[in-house]
Amino acid sequence: MAMNELSQTLAPAGVEQRNWFEAAKRHRALLASLFVLVFPLVMPFTALAVNILIYGLYALGFNLLFGYLGLLSFGHAALFGTGAYLCGIAIVHFALPWYVAIAMGVLGGTAMAALIGALAIRTRGIYFAMVTMALAQCVYYLFYQAIDWTGGENGLRGINVRAIDIFGMKFDFINPLTRYYVVAGFVILALYVLSRILASPFGAVIEAVRENEARARASGYNVTLTRLITFVLSGAFCGLAGALAALHLSIVPIEIMHYETSGMVVMMSLLGGMGTFFGPFVGAAVFLLLENLVSLWTVHWQLFVGAVFVVCVLFFPAGIWGTILKRVRP
Amino acid sequence: MTKKITKSGLLSRRRLLTSVGAGAVLAASPFRINLLQAQEATIKVGFPVPLTGPYGTEAQDQVRAAEVAIAEFNEGGGLNGRKAELLVRDDKLNPGEAATRTLELIEKEKVSFIVGSLSAAVQLAVNNVTKERQIIFNSISQSDTINEASDFSKYTFHEALNPHLTAGAVGRYAFPKFGKKVAFLTADYAYGHEMVRGFQEAGKAFGIETLVDIRHPIGTTDFSALLPRIQALKPDILCISNFGRDQQIALKQATDFGMKKSMKIIVPIMLYTGRIAAGPQAFEGVIGGTSYYWGIEDKIASAKAFNDRFRKMHGGKVPSDYGALGYGGVKTLLMGAKAANSLEADKVIAAIEALKYDYYKGPQYYRKCDHQSAQSVLIIESKASPQKGDADVFNVVETEAPNDANLRSCEALGHKV
Repeated sequence: MAMNELSQTLAPAGVEQRNWFEAAKRHRALLASLFVLVFPLVMPFTALAVNILIYGLYALGFNLLFGYLGLLSFGHAALFGTGAYLCGIAIVHFALPWYVAIAMGVLGGTAMAALIGALAIRTRGIYFAMVTMALAQCVYYLFYQAIDWTGGENGLRGINVRAIDIFGMKFDFINPLTRYYVVAGFVILALYVLSRILASPFGAVIEAVRENEARARASGYNVTLTRLITFVLSGAFCGLAGALAALHLSIVPIEIMHYETSGMVVMMSLLGGMGTFFGPFVGAAVFLLLENLVSLWTVHWQLFVGAVFVVCVLFFPAGIWGTILKRVRP
Repeated sequence: MTKKITKSGLLSRRRLLTSVGAGAVLAASPFRINLLQAQEATIKVGFPVPLTGPYGTEAQDQVRAAEVAIAEFNEGGGLNGRKAELLVRDDKLNPGEAATRTLELIEKEKVSFIVGSLSAAVQLAVNNVTKERQIIFNSISQSDTINEASDFSKYTFHEALNPHLTAGAVGRYAFPKFGKKVAFLTADYAYGHEMVRGFQEAGKAFGIETLVDIRHPIGTTDFSALLPRIQALKPDILCISNFGRDQQIALKQATDFGMKKSMKIIVPIMLYTGRIAAGPQAFEGVIGGTSYYWGIEDKIASAKAFNDRFRKMHGGKVPSDYGALGYGGVKTLLMGAKAANSLEADKVIAAIEALKYDYYKGPQYYRKCDHQSAQSVLIIESKASPQKGDADVFNVVETEAPNDANLRSCEALGHKV
């Protein structure tokens, strides 16, 4: 199973033919980064490639909770949206530099995750999904009503960053490729951090909780705390994704907080392969690409995209990436 | 686990550095941009509208009308022989999707103009993207905010009516005729709020009294709990400010409750497509405003010409109100380019500001400070039954002539004059 990636690495590594697979797995963040760097060259347009990166990162953060810890949250839009709004508010209302705004977004996602997590983490299964969804709706209305700060119905406009200055160099942020590579820089950083978290002893505890909660508790691990920390970490990744989304589109629509955004990330994770490192990215890419390409061609695009999803669920139960991993694993 | 560095790891890291270098060079190189900006044969007009979703009918009609404007421009010889081309995108009524599509249209397709949007939030999103990239954008849906100094830029044009103007016109017609005691039933979002504000500001001059303002969420299907409350207050006028399907359901239930007997129902915008979908009974006797109704062709020559062309291109159909805006929005920008004899944004803007045009509904012009199209507002009443074919649904009871005084003043919008 693709879900047992980490336990696989604990198996005896002496077998010759497994070497390349193990090496690839060890350097998963590096390989994913390489892919990210050449990605825009094969995309129909750069703005879509940036969206895929951002939603890929959002799904990556979600997958930490869903795929690795085994908790299904239906409220991740609140974390993604808070990141986006705080980043936007920092620029629009406080005229802070872009890097501070991104930090605000990450902090916002983290803080919101801590708040929602503290309230929801003791529930499990379907109850956890319902509680997170209910809390996310509360957050939606909070931001919807705070018109002076968020623009309410009209959305937050004016997140205009023209130039990005790094170490004395100035880059034109309006240029699509520059925008892509700035966003890619942050996504690559997040990939490394996530890979490191998963490879750490704490990462092993996360998976232990998923596999057998009673045994993890019996082994002396604080299960509730592990869940809370994972939820908060997931919030940090989603907050970063939200902040990047705000910078990319220069607006934050209220739709970003809608429960559809929560549902979309579940879809992306399942499509790509839950519990795999790179699966969420594949899911986000396939999801957004399909939507964009088919809607160019017919107004009945939802019919075709729906059919593709049905086929995926029927023939790739472990997700697209999960199934590929299963096939190529020696 | 990552302590042991393998050979493949080193190799990959080197490749990573090479890729970063290559990417950076590519991104920084002005050569790439020049390559893409090489002379294009056609003038591209981007057209993001919500082809799918609740406003799909209106959006598809906007596309049909925009095609008429493009065809006329091309038959007229284009801009020194350069033809125009319409690039339609589905924005799914989502501001994020609209912003992404606008980026695609500007960055990949290198459009000269963007025309479109069918919601306040979507047009503000598109506007923010276009003004940062100095691309002219003409919005063809209602919003008060887009005129305000915080969102406006010189690249922003607003061909559609705005809530202040529409509600104001309907109010100025209805308040002196039907009475001063007014009850409001309002969809609880920006559109509804802006409309109510428009009615109340217009009502000040007539001393109207607001009996109640009941807010309902978007997508309400049952108004039966709200309507008796309004009936008990015995208003002269019931003003229903909601849109699309909400409007159809509210009007139908108000008719069923027999409310039309004791009060006059007015709506800020009465949709042609909504009336066609709901049938004559629910709308009978309701007074509303609109930017365009095909029936004015008896009196206005430009409307006749536009309707005939539309009928010829689209199987005998007549254009709807929002559809016609698609025509007006594309036509003004292309005629501006023609007048400027250039596609340079600054020259085109100056040319459009100078336009005094009558393309489809009588005289219009863009006010200089906020690029709002000053234009007539038609006050229409729904007929009990169509007389001349199925499309004959409204009577135009009055036409409010274009007048700056009916718009919010430039100072009130925050513009320095």
